[in-house]
Amino acid sequence: MSSKDPTPSPAQGVGPIYRPDGEKPTATVSKEVSYENVHVLAQTPQLIALLTMIRDKRTARADFIFYSNRIIRLLVEEGLNHLPVVEQSVTTPVDRAYLGVKFEGKICGVSIMRAGEAMEQGLRDCCRSVRIGKILIQRDEETCMPKLFYEKLPADIADRWVLLLDPMFATGGSATLAVEVLKQKGVPEHRILFLNLIASPSGVAEFAERFPKLRVVTSFIDQGLDDKKYIIPGLGDFGDRYYTL
Amino acid sequence: MESTSPFYSLVPEVKYSPPWQDLSIIGIAGSSGSGKTSVAMEIVKSLNLPWVVILVMDSFYKTLTPEEHRKAHANEYDFDCPESIDFDLLVDTLRELKQGKKAHIPVYSFADHQRQTQTTTLYSPRVLILEGILALHDPRILSLLDVKKLTWMFAWDAEVGDHPFYFTKGLVLILAQIAVLRDVRERGRDIEGIIKQWFAFVKPSFTKYVEPQRPISDIIIPRGIENTTAIDMVVKHIQRKLQDKSEKHTEGLRKLGFLAAKVELPANVHVMPSTPQFVGMNTVLQDPATEHVDFVFYFDRLASILIEKALDLTTYVQTTVETPHGNRYMGLNPKGSVSAVAILRGGSCLETALKRTIPDCVTGRLLIQTDVSSSEPELHYLKLPPQLEDHSMVMLLDPQMASGGAALMAVRVLIDHGVLEEKIVFVTCAAGETGIKRLVAVFPKINVIVGRIEANGEPRWMERRYFGC
Repeated sequence: MSSKDPTPSPAQGVGPIYRPDGEKPTATVSKEVSYENVHVLAQTPQLIALLTMIRDKRTARADFIFYSNRIIRLLVEEGLNHLPVVEQSVTTPVDRAYLGVKFEGKICGVSIMRAGEAMEQGLRDCCRSVRIGKILIQRDEETCMPKLFYEKLPADIADRWVLLLDPMFATGGSATLAVEVLKQKGVPEHRILFLNLIASPSGVAEFAERFPKLRVVTSFIDQGLDDKKYIIPGLGDFGDRYYTL
Repeated sequence: MESTSPFYSLVPEVKYSPPWQDLSIIGIAGSSGSGKTSVAMEIVKSLNLPWVVILVMDSFYKTLTPEEHRKAHANEYDFDCPESIDFDLLVDTLRELKQGKKAHIPVYSFADHQRQTQTTTLYSPRVLILEGILALHDPRILSLLDVKKLTWMFAWDAEVGDHPFYFTKGLVLILAQIAVLRDVRERGRDIEGIIKQWFAFVKPSFTKYVEPQRPISDIIIPRGIENTTAIDMVVKHIQRKLQDKSEKHTEGLRKLGFLAAKVELPANVHVMPSTPQFVGMNTVLQDPATEHVDFVFYFDRLASILIEKALDLTTYVQTTVETPHGNRYMGLNPKGSVSAVAILRGGSCLETALKRTIPDCVTGRLLIQTDVSSSEPELHYLKLPPQLEDHSMVMLLDPQMASGGAALMAVRVLIDHGVLEEKIVFVTCAAGETGIKRLVAVFPKINVIVGRIEANGEPRWMERRYFGC
């Protein structure tokens, strides 16, 4: 799936619709994919600016954490929009009728350790007291294949909507295994939402075909993968930059 | 691209005049130490309104040359002659204020006989009392004074005795002994010096400069501060003026709403899309059964989305960065700094969300309260960050916009402080359509981020829910 010469990502003027094209700064935006179950956040100038910040190697850890969290919140907000709601009308404090909606269905987060755990704060900012399960997947030294080392998930996970968290989506090996684990626990595929910051086009394509009912929400689909299966241009090792560097 | 809205051409001449635009100026003249300040203070005290201010002409003394400086220290310099006052600056200042703009008032040091480098800022008074020996000397100032409606006033044809007070073109002319104590206490001068100055300049200058102001006076108050009847008349007149202004302001707002009601929302008004989560949060917020802690949580969450949305409107420039793996990415950097101004009290509800997005955001504050009986917005307090005009974007925060009166006033305040209209983004959780239209009819270049369109004339309740009182 990896290619030595990935096609470059598209560049376009980014800005509000009403602003004339000539006044919009040009930037590289997410690649488009044609899968219905892949949702890329709107490529607004400020999302691009946030991504620019976390891609920049000069960005120090405190800023990296802060700007990542802002993107993660946008991802969570978009992800939550895929959850079901039912109509509900309320009488407002000034005695007017308002036809709104009520959130329906229980949710939980599942983070793929360790980088996925970095997304928990953003999830909690939007969903207080959300339950969060964890899955540890590491590359098996002998087979070079991802291997499940540990999982701790809510007991009633089969009844919940699952927000699966992993910031970098390169080959999709870990994510695929994580989804298999969730399915074994009885979570139907259509109740899984996979949230990530940066994805590779090949990873997304393979994943979307393998799990057609699962929804992927990402902020950016990058250019491709390099020989070491790192996303290009990517942002380096997310876990290292968030936790240790 | 969206086609240009017909909005602007439909209503070409919509303008908002804040209540401080047609400032009333009352001049109080009189000789040195005659009690001008006391009368002015008494008027301000009786009115007890934040937008009545006293402007003392002493602030406009010219900085002395070394030679004059020496004379002044020897008490041989005539501070009562017109040449000692910088009338050009005073006239410019009054003109600025009359147009509703911000003015910088010089600070004069009597100890050094010098204008200080710092100035004080005067903005948005509705009534200004100009107090000084020569308040009526310059014809340019006379033309700015609030005279036309003073027909009810009468000239008190008193003998020029010990304490005659002249009200003139809305002014008081006061003669009296020198206020020795005040000069010593407040101006740091010695008693002998003052006596010397009195005989050399104050008395002659009365005849020369103060007395000629008498015929143009609308009213003369003998006995100055003791003359409560005359002061009461002035106070009543000002109150009537303020009432007129208030009615005109409210009527202006009503007309603007009427004008704006017929047109479509233009492209610079961004109503948040009704996504399931957004509508869901709005439902939680509007449900009176929602616990206070939940209200605050969902409000902050919703407000964060609004702030993020607003940040799309700031200026970005292209940049190329290198990732830790040595790859290059062509992205964007925000240009310049973004600041926010909260319209109190409600606007401070949005600050948690603001700090979540820009932790060190420079923030100004305006307290605008709507008068319950007249529903007229009133500016009570103003504290804006320095260099606001240099910021690339200024967000104006208010959780709810009903008629848009406070919003109009707030935008006007920012513009008066040098912020370009197109750099202003008004951020609100809920607004009535008429209010928004009125706002963008007057200020077509500002951007508006609205969470939810609500019924016109919805009373403000969100801040009460958020703060719990």
